[in-house]
Amino acid sequence: MYRKQVRRRRAVLALLIVGSFALLTITYGQGSNGVQRGVSAIFSPVQSIADQALKPARDLVNWFDKTFDARGKEARLQDELEVARRQAVGAKAALAENAQLTKLLELDRGGAIPSGYEPVTGRVIARAPSVWFSDVTIDLGSGDGVKVDDPVVNGDGLVGTVSAVTGGSSQVALIADNSSAVSAKVVPVGVQGVVKPNVGDPGDLILDFLDSTKHVRKAQAVVTAGWRGQDIASRFPPNIPIGEVTQASLFEQEAQQQVHIRPYADLVNLDVVQVLTGGWRG
Amino acid sequence: MILTPKILVRLVALVLLAVILQLSFFSRVTLFGTSPDLLPALVVALGLLGGTMTGAVSGFAIGFLLDCLLIQPLGGGSLVLLATGYLAGLFRERFEIHSPLVPPLLCMALTLFAELGFGALSLMLGIDATVSTLVVRDMLIQSIFAFFLGWPIYLGLRRLLRPALVEEPTVRRGRRPTVLGA
Repeated sequence: MYRKQVRRRRAVLALLIVGSFALLTITYGQGSNGVQRGVSAIFSPVQSIADQALKPARDLVNWFDKTFDARGKEARLQDELEVARRQAVGAKAALAENAQLTKLLELDRGGAIPSGYEPVTGRVIARAPSVWFSDVTIDLGSGDGVKVDDPVVNGDGLVGTVSAVTGGSSQVALIADNSSAVSAKVVPVGVQGVVKPNVGDPGDLILDFLDSTKHVRKAQAVVTAGWRGQDIASRFPPNIPIGEVTQASLFEQEAQQQVHIRPYADLVNLDVVQVLTGGWRG
Repeated sequence: MILTPKILVRLVALVLLAVILQLSFFSRVTLFGTSPDLLPALVVALGLLGGTMTGAVSGFAIGFLLDCLLIQPLGGGSLVLLATGYLAGLFRERFEIHSPLVPPLLCMALTLFAELGFGALSLMLGIDATVSTLVVRDMLIQSIFAFFLGWPIYLGLRRLLRPALVEEPTVRRGRRPTVLGA
Protein backbone atom coordinates (compact mmCIF):
# COMPACT_ATOMS: atom_id res chain seq x y z
CA MET A 1 0.00 0.00 0.00
CA TYR A 2 2.78 2.41 1.02
CA ARG A 3 4.88 1.47 -2.03
CA LYS A 4 1.91 2.02 -4.28
CA GLN A 5 1.44 5.47 -2.79
CA VAL A 6 5.12 6.31 -3.27
CA ARG A 7 4.98 5.14 -6.90
CA ARG A 8 1.90 7.29 -7.52
CA ARG A 9 3.61 10.33 -5.99
CA ARG A 10 6.67 9.83 -8.14
CA ALA A 11 4.52 9.45 -11.22
CA VAL A 12 2.66 12.70 -10.50
CA LEU A 13 5.93 14.54 -9.89
CA ALA A 14 7.48 13.18 -13.08
CA LEU A 15 4.34 14.15 -14.99
CA LEU A 16 4.47 17.71 -13.67
CA ILE A 17 8.16 18.11 -14.53
CA VAL A 18 7.73 16.64 -18.00
CA GLY A 19 4.61 18.79 -18.44
CA SER A 20 6.53 21.94 -17.52
CA PHE A 21 9.31 21.20 -19.98
CA ALA A 22 6.80 20.28 -22.68
CA LEU A 23 4.88 23.54 -22.18
CA LEU A 24 8.10 25.51 -22.23
CA THR A 25 9.24 23.82 -25.42
CA ILE A 26 5.92 24.21 -27.18
CA THR A 27 5.11 27.78 -26.17
CA TYR A 28 8.54 29.44 -26.06
CA GLY A 29 8.77 32.30 -28.54
CA GLN A 30 5.20 31.91 -29.77
CA GLY A 31 3.57 34.95 -28.17
CA SER A 32 0.12 34.14 -26.86
CA ASN A 33 -1.69 30.83 -27.30
CA GLY A 34 -5.26 29.60 -26.92
CA VAL A 35 -4.95 28.72 -23.25
CA GLN A 36 -3.48 32.11 -22.38
CA ARG A 37 -6.10 33.92 -24.44
CA GLY A 38 -8.86 32.01 -22.60
CA VAL A 39 -7.42 32.56 -19.14
CA SER A 40 -6.71 36.20 -19.95
CA ALA A 41 -10.26 36.75 -21.22
CA ILE A 42 -11.63 35.42 -17.93
CA PHE A 43 -9.24 37.24 -15.64
CA SER A 44 -8.81 40.61 -17.40
CA PRO A 45 -12.00 42.12 -15.95
CA VAL A 46 -11.13 40.78 -12.50
CA GLN A 47 -7.63 42.22 -12.78
CA SER A 48 -8.99 45.59 -13.90
CA ILE A 49 -11.30 45.73 -10.90
CA ALA A 50 -8.52 44.59 -8.55
CA ASP A 51 -6.21 47.19 -10.09
CA GLN A 52 -8.66 50.00 -9.42
CA ALA A 53 -9.58 48.74 -5.96
CA LEU A 54 -5.99 48.33 -4.82
CA LYS A 55 -4.72 51.62 -6.25
CA PRO A 56 -5.09 53.60 -2.98
CA ALA A 57 -3.22 50.92 -1.04
CA ARG A 58 -0.52 50.79 -3.73
CA ASP A 59 -0.14 54.55 -3.71
CA LEU A 60 0.21 54.54 0.07
CA VAL A 61 3.00 51.95 0.03
CA ASN A 62 4.75 53.70 -2.85
CA TRP A 63 4.47 57.02 -1.02
CA PHE A 64 6.31 55.53 1.97
CA ASP A 65 8.99 54.13 -0.31
CA LYS A 66 9.47 57.41 -2.16
CA THR A 67 9.60 59.40 1.08
CA PHE A 68 12.22 57.06 2.46
CA ASP A 69 14.17 57.24 -0.79
CA ALA A 70 13.91 61.04 -0.97
CA ARG A 71 15.56 61.45 2.43
CA GLY A 72 18.61 59.61 1.15
CA LYS A 73 18.70 61.66 -2.03
CA GLU A 74 18.46 65.04 -0.35
CA ALA A 75 22.20 65.58 0.12
CA ARG A 76 23.00 64.52 -3.43
CA LEU A 77 20.28 66.78 -4.81
CA GLN A 78 21.72 69.74 -2.92
CA ASP A 79 25.05 69.20 -4.68
CA GLU A 80 23.30 68.80 -8.02
CA LEU A 81 21.37 72.00 -7.40
CA GLU A 82 24.62 73.93 -6.96
CA VAL A 83 25.91 72.59 -10.26
CA ALA A 84 22.57 73.33 -11.95
CA ARG A 85 22.65 76.92 -10.71
CA ARG A 86 26.06 77.46 -12.28
CA GLN A 87 24.90 75.85 -15.51
CA ALA A 88 21.74 77.96 -15.62
CA VAL A 89 23.72 81.00 -16.78
CA GLY A 90 25.18 79.08 -19.68
CA ALA A 91 21.84 77.53 -20.38
CA LYS A 92 20.35 80.90 -21.33
CA ALA A 93 22.78 81.12 -24.22
CA ALA A 94 21.82 77.62 -25.22
CA LEU A 95 18.11 78.38 -25.26
CA ALA A 96 18.11 79.51 -28.85
CA GLU A 97 20.00 76.40 -29.85
CA ASN A 98 17.63 74.35 -27.74
CA ALA A 99 14.63 75.72 -29.63
CA GLN A 100 16.23 74.63 -32.90
CA LEU A 101 16.99 71.22 -31.47
CA THR A 102 13.45 70.85 -30.26
CA LYS A 103 12.24 71.55 -33.79
CA LEU A 104 14.82 69.21 -35.22
CA LEU A 105 13.99 66.40 -32.87
CA GLU A 106 10.27 66.96 -32.92
CA LEU A 107 10.23 65.84 -29.32
CA ASP A 108 6.63 65.55 -28.57
CA ARG A 109 5.93 66.07 -24.93
CA GLY A 110 2.46 67.43 -25.49
CA GLY A 111 0.84 64.25 -26.70
CA ALA A 112 1.16 64.72 -30.49
CA ILE A 113 1.62 61.42 -32.23
CA PRO A 114 3.76 60.65 -35.28
CA SER A 115 1.69 60.62 -38.46
CA GLY A 116 0.29 57.24 -39.45
CA TYR A 117 -0.09 56.07 -35.87
CA GLU A 118 -3.30 55.97 -33.92
CA PRO A 119 -2.81 56.08 -30.16
CA VAL A 120 -4.95 53.97 -27.86
CA THR A 121 -4.81 54.74 -24.17
CA GLY A 122 -4.77 51.95 -21.61
CA ARG A 123 -3.83 51.11 -18.08
CA VAL A 124 -1.29 48.72 -16.60
CA ILE A 125 -3.16 45.95 -14.80
CA ALA A 126 -0.38 43.55 -13.84
CA ARG A 127 3.36 43.32 -13.58
CA ALA A 128 5.74 40.35 -13.55
CA PRO A 129 6.91 39.64 -9.99
CA SER A 130 10.39 38.34 -10.80
CA VAL A 131 13.35 40.70 -10.99
CA TRP A 132 14.41 38.90 -14.17
CA PHE A 133 11.48 40.04 -16.29
CA SER A 134 10.33 43.58 -17.03
CA ASP A 135 6.94 42.88 -18.52
CA VAL A 136 3.62 44.49 -17.75
CA THR A 137 0.12 43.52 -18.77
CA ILE A 138 -2.18 46.26 -20.04
CA ASP A 139 -5.95 46.30 -20.44
CA LEU A 140 -5.86 46.72 -24.23
CA GLY A 141 -6.08 43.80 -26.61
CA SER A 142 -6.66 42.87 -30.22
CA GLY A 143 -10.21 44.21 -29.82
CA ASP A 144 -8.71 47.68 -29.42
CA GLY A 145 -6.60 47.35 -32.54
CA VAL A 146 -3.41 46.43 -30.70
CA LYS A 147 -0.96 44.19 -32.55
CA VAL A 148 2.31 42.55 -31.66
CA ASP A 149 5.31 44.94 -32.03
CA ASP A 150 3.23 48.11 -31.60
CA PRO A 151 5.26 50.75 -29.73
CA VAL A 152 4.09 51.76 -26.27
CA VAL A 153 4.73 55.21 -24.79
CA ASN A 154 3.67 57.28 -21.82
CA GLY A 155 3.81 61.03 -21.17
CA ASP A 156 7.56 60.89 -20.56
CA GLY A 157 8.74 58.82 -23.49
CA LEU A 158 9.15 55.31 -24.85
CA VAL A 159 8.03 52.51 -22.56
CA GLY A 160 8.35 49.34 -24.67
CA THR A 161 6.65 47.22 -27.31
CA VAL A 162 3.68 44.91 -27.36
CA SER A 163 5.06 41.37 -27.23
CA ALA A 164 1.85 39.32 -27.07
CA VAL A 165 -1.82 40.11 -27.57
CA THR A 166 -5.04 38.48 -26.44
CA GLY A 167 -8.62 39.67 -26.94
CA GLY A 168 -8.74 42.00 -23.94
CA SER A 169 -5.17 42.39 -22.76
CA SER A 170 -1.62 42.60 -24.02
CA GLN A 171 1.83 41.96 -22.70
CA VAL A 172 4.26 44.84 -23.03
CA ALA A 173 7.97 44.07 -22.95
CA LEU A 174 9.46 47.18 -21.38
CA ILE A 175 12.67 48.69 -22.72
CA ALA A 176 14.27 47.34 -19.53
CA ASP A 177 13.24 43.75 -20.38
CA ASN A 178 15.96 41.30 -21.36
CA SER A 179 14.35 40.80 -24.77
CA SER A 180 14.33 44.50 -25.66
CA ALA A 181 16.54 46.25 -28.23
CA VAL A 182 15.65 49.69 -29.61
CA SER A 183 17.52 51.42 -32.42
CA ALA A 184 18.23 54.93 -31.20
CA LYS A 185 20.23 58.05 -31.86
CA VAL A 186 21.85 60.62 -29.63
CA VAL A 187 20.91 64.22 -30.28
CA PRO A 188 22.32 66.59 -31.32
CA VAL A 189 25.39 64.58 -32.39
CA GLY A 190 23.32 62.08 -34.34
CA VAL A 191 25.32 59.02 -33.29
CA GLN A 192 23.23 55.88 -33.69
CA GLY A 193 23.18 52.81 -31.51
CA VAL A 194 20.96 50.21 -29.91
CA VAL A 195 19.38 50.75 -26.50
CA LYS A 196 19.63 47.55 -24.51
CA PRO A 197 18.64 46.80 -20.93
CA ASN A 198 20.84 46.32 -17.92
CA VAL A 199 18.80 43.44 -16.51
CA GLY A 200 17.74 44.04 -12.92
CA ASP A 201 18.22 47.82 -13.03
CA PRO A 202 15.29 49.47 -14.84
CA GLY A 203 16.77 52.91 -14.16
CA ASP A 204 19.88 52.20 -16.20
CA LEU A 205 19.90 51.31 -19.90
CA ILE A 206 22.87 50.82 -22.17
CA LEU A 207 23.24 52.51 -25.54
CA ASP A 208 25.41 50.00 -27.34
CA PHE A 209 27.19 49.68 -30.72
CA LEU A 210 28.08 53.38 -30.89
CA ASP A 211 30.43 54.88 -33.42
CA SER A 212 33.49 55.33 -31.21
CA THR A 213 34.87 58.18 -33.35
CA LYS A 214 32.03 60.49 -32.28
CA HIS A 215 31.89 61.32 -28.63
CA VAL A 216 28.66 61.32 -26.70
CA ARG A 217 28.39 63.55 -23.63
CA LYS A 218 26.50 63.34 -20.37
CA ALA A 219 22.94 64.80 -20.35
CA GLN A 220 22.47 64.47 -24.12
CA ALA A 221 19.07 63.16 -25.16
CA VAL A 222 18.49 59.77 -26.75
CA VAL A 223 15.53 59.29 -29.09
CA THR A 224 14.32 56.49 -31.31
CA ALA A 225 16.10 56.33 -34.66
CA GLY A 226 13.04 55.15 -36.56
CA TRP A 227 14.93 54.04 -39.67
CA ARG A 228 13.20 52.67 -42.73
CA GLY A 229 14.63 50.64 -45.59
CA GLN A 230 13.03 49.35 -48.76
CA ASP A 231 11.25 46.37 -47.23
CA ILE A 232 12.15 46.68 -43.62
CA ALA A 233 11.66 49.30 -40.92
CA SER A 234 12.24 49.90 -37.26
CA ARG A 235 9.31 49.00 -35.00
CA PHE A 236 9.47 52.51 -33.58
CA PRO A 237 8.60 55.81 -35.21
CA PRO A 238 11.44 58.34 -35.15
CA ASN A 239 12.16 60.86 -32.41
CA ILE A 240 10.28 59.35 -29.49
CA PRO A 241 12.26 60.35 -26.39
CA ILE A 242 13.91 57.40 -24.65
CA GLY A 243 16.19 58.91 -22.03
CA GLU A 244 19.28 60.95 -21.33
CA VAL A 245 22.91 59.99 -21.12
CA THR A 246 24.05 59.59 -17.52
CA GLN A 247 27.51 58.06 -17.93
CA ALA A 248 29.66 58.62 -20.98
CA SER A 249 33.26 57.89 -20.14
CA LEU A 250 35.68 58.06 -23.04
CA PHE A 251 37.13 54.69 -22.07
CA GLU A 252 33.73 52.99 -22.20
CA GLN A 253 32.88 54.65 -25.52
CA GLU A 254 36.14 53.69 -27.20
CA ALA A 255 36.67 50.25 -25.65
CA GLN A 256 33.09 49.01 -25.44
CA GLN A 257 31.28 51.43 -27.74
CA GLN A 258 28.60 52.08 -25.18
CA VAL A 259 27.23 54.70 -22.76
CA HIS A 260 24.67 54.48 -19.98
CA ILE A 261 21.32 56.23 -20.19
CA ARG A 262 18.46 56.83 -17.78
CA PRO A 263 15.01 56.32 -19.28
CA TYR A 264 12.66 59.30 -19.14
CA ALA A 265 9.72 57.04 -18.35
CA ASP A 266 9.49 55.69 -14.80
CA LEU A 267 9.43 52.02 -15.76
CA VAL A 268 8.83 50.82 -12.21
CA ASN A 269 5.67 52.81 -11.53
CA LEU A 270 3.81 52.74 -14.82
CA ASP A 271 0.12 53.40 -14.79
CA VAL A 272 -1.38 54.96 -17.93
CA VAL A 273 0.26 54.15 -21.26
CA GLN A 274 -0.51 54.67 -24.94
CA VAL A 275 -0.14 52.03 -27.61
CA LEU A 276 0.69 53.50 -31.01
CA THR A 277 -1.37 51.31 -33.30
CA GLY A 278 -1.52 51.16 -37.07
CA GLY A 279 2.04 52.14 -37.85
CA TRP A 280 4.00 51.15 -40.93
CA ARG A 281 5.09 47.53 -40.66
CA GLY A 282 7.09 47.05 -43.81
CA MET B 1 -3.34 16.67 3.72
CA ILE B 2 -6.83 15.20 3.31
CA LEU B 3 -8.32 16.74 0.19
CA THR B 4 -12.08 17.03 0.40
CA PRO B 5 -14.08 19.01 -2.20
CA LYS B 6 -14.48 21.81 0.34
CA ILE B 7 -10.74 22.03 0.96
CA LEU B 8 -10.08 21.89 -2.77
CA VAL B 9 -12.41 24.86 -3.33
CA ARG B 10 -10.62 26.76 -0.58
CA LEU B 11 -7.24 25.99 -2.15
CA VAL B 12 -8.35 27.07 -5.63
CA ALA B 13 -9.87 30.30 -4.28
CA LEU B 14 -6.71 30.98 -2.31
CA VAL B 15 -4.46 30.45 -5.32
CA LEU B 16 -6.60 32.72 -7.53
CA LEU B 17 -6.73 35.43 -4.88
CA ALA B 18 -2.99 35.24 -4.27
CA VAL B 19 -2.10 35.48 -7.96
CA ILE B 20 -4.44 38.44 -8.54
CA LEU B 21 -3.13 40.16 -5.41
CA GLN B 22 0.46 39.57 -6.51
CA LEU B 23 -0.03 40.95 -10.02
CA SER B 24 -2.27 43.87 -9.09
CA PHE B 25 -0.72 44.91 -5.79
CA PHE B 26 2.57 43.40 -4.65
CA SER B 27 4.29 43.54 -8.05
CA ARG B 28 3.33 47.18 -8.43
CA VAL B 29 4.54 48.55 -5.14
CA THR B 30 8.21 49.23 -4.53
CA LEU B 31 9.85 49.01 -1.15
CA PHE B 32 13.60 49.57 -0.92
CA GLY B 33 13.79 49.46 -4.70
CA THR B 34 12.09 46.13 -5.28
CA SER B 35 8.66 44.50 -5.17
CA PRO B 36 7.69 41.76 -2.72
CA ASP B 37 6.97 38.36 -4.24
CA LEU B 38 4.19 36.64 -2.32
CA LEU B 39 3.88 33.53 -4.45
CA PRO B 40 7.03 31.54 -3.56
CA ALA B 41 6.22 32.12 0.14
CA LEU B 42 2.68 30.82 -0.45
CA VAL B 43 3.97 27.74 -2.26
CA VAL B 44 6.44 27.08 0.56
CA ALA B 45 3.69 27.38 3.17
CA LEU B 46 1.50 24.95 1.19
CA GLY B 47 4.42 22.52 0.90
CA LEU B 48 5.14 22.77 4.61
CA LEU B 49 1.52 22.07 5.51
CA GLY B 50 0.64 19.51 2.87
CA GLY B 51 3.87 17.75 1.93
CA THR B 52 5.70 17.19 -1.34
CA MET B 53 2.69 16.49 -3.54
CA THR B 54 0.65 19.46 -2.33
CA GLY B 55 3.69 21.71 -2.66
CA ALA B 56 4.57 20.49 -6.14
CA VAL B 57 1.02 20.55 -7.53
CA SER B 58 0.21 23.96 -6.07
CA GLY B 59 3.56 25.33 -7.31
CA PHE B 60 2.82 24.02 -10.80
CA ALA B 61 -0.70 25.49 -10.76
CA ILE B 62 0.39 28.90 -9.47
CA GLY B 63 3.24 29.07 -11.99
CA PHE B 64 0.94 28.06 -14.82
CA LEU B 65 -1.65 30.69 -13.89
CA LEU B 66 1.06 33.32 -13.53
CA ASP B 67 2.49 32.53 -16.97
CA CYS B 68 -1.01 32.60 -18.49
CA LEU B 69 -1.87 35.98 -17.02
CA LEU B 70 1.49 37.53 -17.87
CA ILE B 71 1.32 36.03 -21.37
CA GLN B 72 4.78 34.55 -20.95
CA PRO B 73 6.03 31.22 -22.32
CA LEU B 74 4.16 28.56 -20.35
CA GLY B 75 6.08 26.14 -18.18
CA GLY B 76 8.88 28.33 -16.81
CA GLY B 77 7.03 29.61 -13.75
CA SER B 78 5.48 26.16 -13.23
CA LEU B 79 8.86 24.43 -13.21
CA VAL B 80 10.47 26.83 -10.74
CA LEU B 81 7.54 26.99 -8.33
CA LEU B 82 6.99 23.22 -8.59
CA ALA B 83 10.57 22.67 -7.41
CA THR B 84 10.10 25.26 -4.66
CA GLY B 85 6.92 23.58 -3.36
CA TYR B 86 8.47 20.13 -3.60
CA LEU B 87 11.52 21.17 -1.55
CA ALA B 88 9.30 22.74 1.11
CA GLY B 89 7.24 19.53 1.24
CA LEU B 90 10.38 17.44 1.45
CA PHE B 91 11.51 19.47 4.44
CA ARG B 92 8.20 18.83 6.15
CA GLU B 93 8.42 15.08 5.51
CA ARG B 94 12.02 14.78 6.66
CA PHE B 95 12.22 17.16 9.62
CA GLU B 96 10.09 18.30 12.51
CA ILE B 97 9.18 21.96 12.65
CA HIS B 98 10.30 22.73 16.19
CA SER B 99 10.74 26.46 16.05
CA PRO B 100 8.26 29.11 14.89
CA LEU B 101 11.15 30.63 12.94
CA VAL B 102 11.37 27.64 10.61
CA PRO B 103 8.50 28.60 8.21
CA PRO B 104 9.67 32.20 7.65
CA LEU B 105 13.30 31.13 7.32
CA LEU B 106 12.32 28.47 4.83
CA CYS B 107 10.18 31.01 2.94
CA MET B 108 13.21 33.27 2.80
CA ALA B 109 15.60 30.58 1.60
CA LEU B 110 13.22 29.10 -0.96
CA THR B 111 12.19 32.51 -2.32
CA LEU B 112 15.87 33.09 -3.01
CA PHE B 113 15.97 29.63 -4.59
CA ALA B 114 12.93 30.50 -6.77
CA GLU B 115 14.48 33.80 -7.89
CA LEU B 116 17.73 32.01 -8.72
CA GLY B 117 15.63 29.46 -10.59
CA PHE B 118 13.92 32.20 -12.63
CA GLY B 119 17.34 33.67 -13.32
CA ALA B 120 18.81 30.34 -14.39
CA LEU B 121 15.82 29.73 -16.65
CA SER B 122 16.15 33.18 -18.22
CA LEU B 123 19.85 32.63 -18.83
CA MET B 124 19.20 29.21 -20.35
CA LEU B 125 16.54 30.63 -22.64
CA GLY B 126 19.01 33.34 -23.62
CA ILE B 127 19.36 36.85 -22.24
CA ASP B 128 20.99 39.00 -24.90
CA ALA B 129 21.80 41.78 -22.46
CA THR B 130 24.07 42.63 -19.58
CA VAL B 131 22.87 41.70 -16.11
CA SER B 132 23.15 44.35 -13.40
CA THR B 133 24.58 43.45 -10.02
CA LEU B 134 21.43 45.07 -8.61
CA VAL B 135 19.68 41.79 -9.43
CA VAL B 136 21.51 40.23 -6.50
CA ARG B 137 20.41 43.05 -4.19
CA ASP B 138 16.81 42.74 -5.40
CA MET B 139 16.80 38.98 -4.89
CA LEU B 140 18.12 39.36 -1.35
CA ILE B 141 15.55 42.04 -0.51
CA GLN B 142 12.78 39.85 -1.93
CA SER B 143 13.98 37.03 0.31
CA ILE B 144 13.85 39.32 3.34
CA PHE B 145 10.31 40.34 2.36
CA ALA B 146 9.47 36.62 2.12
CA PHE B 147 10.73 36.16 5.69
CA PHE B 148 8.25 38.73 6.95
CA LEU B 149 5.43 37.52 4.70
CA GLY B 150 6.11 33.85 5.43
CA TRP B 151 4.92 33.71 9.01
CA PRO B 152 1.46 35.31 8.54
CA ILE B 153 0.95 33.29 5.36
CA TYR B 154 1.85 30.06 7.14
CA LEU B 155 -0.38 30.80 10.13
CA GLY B 156 -3.27 31.95 7.93
CA LEU B 157 -3.01 28.87 5.74
CA ARG B 158 -2.85 26.54 8.74
CA ARG B 159 -6.03 28.07 10.03
CA LEU B 160 -7.73 27.91 6.64
CA LEU B 161 -6.75 24.30 5.99
CA ARG B 162 -6.99 23.00 9.57
CA PRO B 163 -9.69 20.37 8.86
CA ALA B 164 -7.47 18.84 6.19
CA LEU B 165 -4.18 18.74 8.06
CA VAL B 166 -3.12 15.29 9.15
CA GLU B 167 -0.75 16.02 11.99
CA GLU B 168 -2.46 19.11 13.32
CA PRO B 169 -3.04 18.61 17.06
CA THR B 170 -6.56 19.34 18.21
CA VAL B 171 -6.94 22.37 20.42
CA ARG B 172 -8.61 21.59 23.72
CA ARG B 173 -11.16 24.09 24.78
CA GLY B 174 -13.68 24.32 27.56
CA ARG B 175 -13.72 22.70 30.98
CA ARG B 176 -10.83 20.62 32.21
CA PRO B 177 -11.78 16.97 32.88
CA THR B 178 -12.71 16.16 36.47
CA VAL B 179 -10.50 13.58 38.15
CA LEU B 180 -12.68 11.19 40.12
CA GLY B 181 -11.74 10.79 43.74
CA ALA B 182 -9.70 13.93 43.94
